[in-house]
Amino acid sequence: MDKKETKVLIIIPAYNEEENIAAVIEHLNSKILAGVFAEFSAVDYLIINDGSRDSTLEICGAQNFCYLNLPINLGIGGAVQAGYMFAKRNGYDIAVQMDGDGQHDISYLNDMIAPLLEDKADIVIGSRFLEKEGFQSSGIRRMGIKFLSFLIRLTTNRKIMDVTSGYRAVNKRFINIYVDDYPTDYPEPEAIVTAIMNKGRIMEVPVQMHAREGGSSSITFGKSVYYMIKVTLAILVCRLSYGIRR
Amino acid sequence: MIPSSLRITLIIAVICYFIIILYFLKQRALNLKYTLLWLLSGAVLGILVIYPDLLSHIIRILGIEDNMNGLFIICIAFMLMIMMALTSIASRQNVKIRQLVQEIGILDKRIRELEQKQKQERKNVGN
Repeated sequence: MDKKETKVLIIIPAYNEEENIAAVIEHLNSKILAGVFAEFSAVDYLIINDGSRDSTLEICGAQNFCYLNLPINLGIGGAVQAGYMFAKRNGYDIAVQMDGDGQHDISYLNDMIAPLLEDKADIVIGSRFLEKEGFQSSGIRRMGIKFLSFLIRLTTNRKIMDVTSGYRAVNKRFINIYVDDYPTDYPEPEAIVTAIMNKGRIMEVPVQMHAREGGSSSITFGKSVYYMIKVTLAILVCRLSYGIRR
Repeated sequence: MIPSSLRITLIIAVICYFIIILYFLKQRALNLKYTLLWLLSGAVLGILVIYPDLLSHIIRILGIEDNMNGLFIICIAFMLMIMMALTSIASRQNVKIRQLVQEIGILDKRIRELEQKQKQERKNVGN
């Protein structure tokens, strides 16, 4: 794919991110203005306000950001999927999803898109564990991630280190697949299985992540047990249902 | 055997059950599609109460000693089936609501853009 003919959409799901969203977008806009992505036909961003109860929507409106407003909170899966729907309808070639809390650095965008342009991968995951630099998450969470990574390896025979990373880039084929079939609730590991079962080529690219700047993570300690059980079951069910369909 | 006084009670109960369902259907408070399972279970219970020999026969085949226990188990089985159907309906509606919300989000953005365009055009005409 030629860079000059490539339209890129950056999908930024935001739920109660009034403290972070403005900084994330300003950083993004500064890169766009500096011409970092000038070689592309277009690099646009789209915030998905997922029924936030704080002033995220007001900030987006006042600052004239580009955003979708979902009237009901769908959870991150539904919000990201709305972004993919928008990407499909507006003819984007590549969709990148990154969190609205400042964890993901837009500077890596070119690295993440490169394998898609060269047609070496269908999905690129920004991984914090390949070079073990930057924010690495707490020990107990890393154990959980290792377990999920092991589970995906066991069920699909594919090795992916950072299965919970929400920093991803996908090509047109997977924009279309994710519009029809994107998991809800805690979608990141399950979306990988969906991709593998659709014969997607997945590549990890090393990125550094930051600890979130403000607000709080959507996954509290109390929810983490539920998270692990739900995601484990979801991976197994997803693997099984595709196994039957084939 | 089921005692005849109990049979009469059960027959009245099944009749009431059908009257209530039909009343709701007439009021359009229930969708026929979702009451098929209710009607089916009512019909089976009705048949079993009217022909108790059939009931004891089926129950022996299933390996249940007591007629009343058999009746309870059949009732519970139907209730589980109906509940499972309800969960599946709720899940499907969940998907539909999600699609609607996403669609509203996209339409909302289009409307905002159109409004802005209109404002711009009005300004241009004003100049």
